[in-house]
Amino acid sequence: MEVLTGWWDDFFWGSVVVLKVFLASLVLMVLFGLVGAAAKLSNNRIAQKIAGAYTVIFRGTPEILVILLLYFGSAITLTAIAQIFDPEVKFLDVPPFWAGTIAIALIVGSYATETFRGAFLGVKPGSIEAARALGMSNLQTFIYVRIPEMWRLALPAFGNHMLSLIKDTALISIIGLNETLFVAKQAIGSTGKPFTMYIVVGLIYLGFSTVITLTVMALERYGQRTLRTGT
Amino acid sequence: MTSPEPLIQMLEVGKHFGTFQALKGINLNVSKGERIVVCGPSGSGKSTMIRCINRLEKHDQGRIIIDGIELTDDLKDLNAVRREVGMVFQSFNLFPHMTILNNLMLAQKLVRKTPKAEARDVAMHYLERVKIPEQAGKYPIQLSGGQQQRVAIARALCMKPEVMLFDEPTSALDPEMINEVLEVMVDLARDGMTMICVTHEMGFARSVADRVIFMDTGEIVEEAEPETFFNAPRNERTKLFLSQILKH
Repeated sequence: MEVLTGWWDDFFWGSVVVLKVFLASLVLMVLFGLVGAAAKLSNNRIAQKIAGAYTVIFRGTPEILVILLLYFGSAITLTAIAQIFDPEVKFLDVPPFWAGTIAIALIVGSYATETFRGAFLGVKPGSIEAARALGMSNLQTFIYVRIPEMWRLALPAFGNHMLSLIKDTALISIIGLNETLFVAKQAIGSTGKPFTMYIVVGLIYLGFSTVITLTVMALERYGQRTLRTGT
Repeated sequence: MTSPEPLIQMLEVGKHFGTFQALKGINLNVSKGERIVVCGPSGSGKSTMIRCINRLEKHDQGRIIIDGIELTDDLKDLNAVRREVGMVFQSFNLFPHMTILNNLMLAQKLVRKTPKAEARDVAMHYLERVKIPEQAGKYPIQLSGGQQQRVAIARALCMKPEVMLFDEPTSALDPEMINEVLEVMVDLARDGMTMICVTHEMGFARSVADRVIFMDTGEIVEEAEPETFFNAPRNERTKLFLSQILKH
């Protein structure tokens, strides 16, 4: 365990980065998933096609490739634009944090699109008709009836999406984000103890994923309290 | 002497589902305070007809005018019409994720913009009226079918509608629960509520209805006061239908 001395705070800050990426990508993933599902369920052909292409592309390509393409693609574009104004510029990138966060949110969001679409279709049409008959607008029906009934149906699959997100944060180390795996590689370089360092990373991720799993279980219990009989 | 403008006017209303014609040339006027019972075999268009009145279905022929406002695609504020037309469904359709009280308060707050405290008072008032105030904190699944349907009636009443539509409100209920719902409906009728009820509860029709309408294959076949309707029906299809449902 002495080999870890001096690395604890690096792992701690690496974990903080993992948590930040997870939270930011979670928000974006839900957003992409909802927009994607709304587009697929809309009557608009163009919206359907765009959402269809989105899910095909992001579910059909390796995650690590998406991260690399997004990071270097945006860097090349940004550099080219910057060079128009200042030819001295050598390299300009989107910070790895944001490039990585957006990449994994887009990937997992494409899976969430299908989860949300299925869950919206599972909401009983009777509830929606009742809301309409009471004079509620489409937006009010969406917020107060469709969403609260939908998330209960989406939750089991959504739990898996959250686990995917937390694990995908490790991939962002390849574009230089100093999260736990990045820290481990540095530690291995100076201590020559790969097994110990990777085990630490593994335990950190296991800790995060356990919290997520427990949270989903608690949410399921909360969501199902209205589906159980008796008082 | 001119009679007042009817609350609901349907003029030559038609409705298709694909190539199937669900409604054909429906003409119906309902005045304020009138109680109409609509019956007929399944697939006769009776549910479709009342669903057209609050535009859960769009008619594709003729005109429907509610309290002076014609239902068209251009109608800017369909929800203004809908909040005047209460509806009770066969399968209750309470919001499963909300307590009974919240089921009753939601549309009041969102649509009527009623302040929360007042919405709560209104909700409790109508829960008392349907005789289940003690269930306010429960979720729909914890209630019996009859209780759920009474909550659904109370929810519609909370919007203070001009007219109430009932779409086979007792058809999904166990027999011992039918009466508790009918009692609430009779009570409502006594208070002078304008009502259109699709139902096969002929006892209810006899005691409450001003007019009974018989529909078959998308048309109004017969329309009469209950006395005449049950004792001296003119149309053969009505006679056949009545003999079938009143056999036992």
